[in-house]
Amino acid sequence: MTRIRVEGIVKRFGDTPAINGVSLDVRPGELFTLVGPSGCGKTTLLRIIAGLLEQDAGHILFNEDRMDDVPPYLRNIGVVFQNYAIFPHLTVGENIAYGLKARRVPSERIAAKVAEAARLVQLEGLVDRMPAQLSGGQQQRVVLARALTIEPRLLLMDEPLSNLDAKLRVQIRSLIRQLQRELRITTIYVTHDQEEALAISDTIAVMDRGRVLQIGRPWELYLTPAGRFVADFIGTMNVLRGTVTGPGPAPGEVIAAMAFGERWSVPGAGGSGQPVSVGVRPESLQLAPGPGPENSWQPLTGTVSEVVYLGSVVRYQLQVADALQVTAEIHNPDFSALHGVGERLRLWVAASRLVPLPEEGGAG
Amino acid sequence: MARRRRDFWWTVTVLGFLSVLAFLVYPLGTVFVTSFTGEEKRFVLADNYHRFLTHRYYYSSLINSLYLSALATLGALLVGTTLAFAVARYPLPGKTFLRTAANLALLSPPFIGAYSWVVLFGRMGLVNRALGTIGWGLPTIYGWRGILLVFIVQYFPFVFLLVSAALRSVDQSIEDAALSLGSPPRRTFTTAILPVIAPSLTAGALLVFMATMADFGTPMIIGEGLRTLPTLMYGEFINELGGNPAMASTLGSFLILVNSAALMAQRYYAFRRAYNVVCIQPLRVQRAGGVRLMVLTLFAYGVVAVALIPSLTIIISSFMPTRGPVMYAGFSLQSYRTIFHLVPRAIANTFLLTALAVVLDVLLGVLVAYLLARRRSRAHALLDGLIMLAYAIPGTVVGVGLIVVFNRPPIILTGTWVILLVSYFIRHLPYPVRSCTAMLQQIDLRVEEASVSLGVPPFRTFLKVTLPLMFPAILSGAALAWMTTIGELSSSILLYSGPWATMSVAIFTEVFSNHFGTASALASILIAAAFVPLFLTYRMLGERAALGM
Repeated sequence: MTRIRVEGIVKRFGDTPAINGVSLDVRPGELFTLVGPSGCGKTTLLRIIAGLLEQDAGHILFNEDRMDDVPPYLRNIGVVFQNYAIFPHLTVGENIAYGLKARRVPSERIAAKVAEAARLVQLEGLVDRMPAQLSGGQQQRVVLARALTIEPRLLLMDEPLSNLDAKLRVQIRSLIRQLQRELRITTIYVTHDQEEALAISDTIAVMDRGRVLQIGRPWELYLTPAGRFVADFIGTMNVLRGTVTGPGPAPGEVIAAMAFGERWSVPGAGGSGQPVSVGVRPESLQLAPGPGPENSWQPLTGTVSEVVYLGSVVRYQLQVADALQVTAEIHNPDFSALHGVGERLRLWVAASRLVPLPEEGGAG
Repeated sequence: MARRRRDFWWTVTVLGFLSVLAFLVYPLGTVFVTSFTGEEKRFVLADNYHRFLTHRYYYSSLINSLYLSALATLGALLVGTTLAFAVARYPLPGKTFLRTAANLALLSPPFIGAYSWVVLFGRMGLVNRALGTIGWGLPTIYGWRGILLVFIVQYFPFVFLLVSAALRSVDQSIEDAALSLGSPPRRTFTTAILPVIAPSLTAGALLVFMATMADFGTPMIIGEGLRTLPTLMYGEFINELGGNPAMASTLGSFLILVNSAALMAQRYYAFRRAYNVVCIQPLRVQRAGGVRLMVLTLFAYGVVAVALIPSLTIIISSFMPTRGPVMYAGFSLQSYRTIFHLVPRAIANTFLLTALAVVLDVLLGVLVAYLLARRRSRAHALLDGLIMLAYAIPGTVVGVGLIVVFNRPPIILTGTWVILLVSYFIRHLPYPVRSCTAMLQQIDLRVEEASVSLGVPPFRTFLKVTLPLMFPAILSGAALAWMTTIGELSSSILLYSGPWATMSVAIFTEVFSNHFGTASALASILIAAAFVPLFLTYRMLGERAALGM
């Protein structure tokens, strides 16, 4: 198993920096995801790790081996591309065998390994087909098998699911995760889809404009985002502002006069008069205070401006103050939880679910 | 990866530049410089240009050429576009036949087309003599009307092919949207469909214009003394009273100027108007009333018949007994016996030189195309432009340039077969380069990267993955280069010497010595030789891929 270290990578295209000093430490055997909006540099970083692009500064290490001057064909990396990059002139079997032939593996061994790989990705019986005869999902599985048969030190996946329809996406996603766990291959996975990132990863790095903003377990990013960008990019976050009026009931808390008129006790520090921001996830809001002491629940009142009923969830847009919209999701709603546009609603959030946000959240 | 090394591709770049500079830029530059020299090879500023502009004998050739090319372009546009629309949008019977026949018309070299019209409607023509026996006099085909007819018949398929391809890429939704927004059919055509196909339309017009400007054989055979730029240039260069290379160069400079200007104008126009259209559902075939359908059917079959007449005439007349220019009814292999006796060398030369040139074109073309598509730098953009220059420069100019440059030390090639090979090679290099670059743009770069990441070094990846995927483009590029090389006349007629005459040269001299039977037999072989590779490519790849230039 390979530990991957990325140290201070910089890459410029012309004058614009695409990667602006990125360092990562990928543990052996884990599935590490780079997530971020398009243009954040995640694919560029992936191509640098693969050796398909050359960095301007910084180093790539596989265990203790420095890879900077190793050409891509000697790095022993399996790459799975977004648009498959299948060899259209070769059969499924020849596609899977391609890397083995380059390694001069004896042909009986190749046949056995191709059969094994085809079984792993559930393509038995299709090895003699041409790629044009396969569906998109099948093609992506061929490419996966092709990358896995060479027993790579590292598996790189560049948005491997984005060309598939929703149902296949979930199917192939769990296949990838299952194979990756079984074979214990260190994997770096690129996606712009935060839900996919949460579902598949051991560790996630959120990138924006050529920098890494936060690295952590999926739940760490969701529950304790380092800043406004991460809070917004991973899931939805309502940002509520206020002004500190005094110390709170517990250390690390303050009492704040919120912009929408309520007095809340919120996580934070600072003396009276200081601004403070907290985040509230839509599903943290509920229609009545829950158990526990009454003062551990903070209230919020607004007028319903939009209702989206999705069966298992009903999503409300609430106009709380002049310039403040809040999204709330009520799960498993019964009839009493259903309200119409124009109704006034009073919602509650547990103080423990408030997410501290650095004021005017730049990156951490 | 991006590190500059003197690797294999560096060698290819150098080879590409060397070829183009030595065999195109240097000769053309010399032509241009020569146009400024006087009798004792002194430098005289614009002396020749002054003579050109003040003597009707010279400037009329420019006027004739421009006039003929403009009319021919207009005619080819009308015929080609109408035929393309008729085939694409109306339920004409026998569409496959119509399409194939229009493509076939491109096969025979234009000067052979011209000659075939002489066989039919010339002074001793089959039709004229037949009508003469019943007392009808028919005007002969010679002069500018004949040239125009040959030009239009010969070159309308360019327009037809390009416009047909463009129409296939127009989605029905574009028309539906325009109609649903309240635009009447005629306005829908001019505002919604025409703009989308305009780049192809102008590309077709450009091809016709440049080809007719450059055409040497047609006005020579059917023009009867009508001076155009290429024929006058040839006449000035090869003159029994001693040639005048300076004046020939002046005429050549005008040819270069006009064609390059046309090329740049079209590029500029099309570049700003290239739309990326995604076609999911092609344009529907329209229902048409009986009269309209009948008129269109008559038109389409009429055009195709006229287009096929030349080749058919040649082939049939090659099997007729002849005496001089006069052909008699009957069947005879006399003409074939004569040519195999008289000019076997020319036939062998043609096949040998064409095959060699095509092999070289494909070898260099494939590699250069890869560089242009995959490792584009400023140097490669320049190389691309220079190679495309070969499209625009008439064979007569290339021929004169090569002679002027290579008949003096250090390298003397005149009088050898090498100079013919050089001309064929450089003039038809654009075909494989174009077809392969277009193909490479469709081959995903990720496919090559996948191969590299699986452990296959870049050059072996090129051999194992890229080359096999490029195969259809290589084949069609080779077929087009073969087809255009084998009947090449305009530079061959200047460059051949003694034993190295080609079939096109032999046909030309036979026509001028009034040996129509042997000319027809040679031309038939030429047409067949041009047809076979294209036909095979067709069978292997299908119509669209084969002509996907």
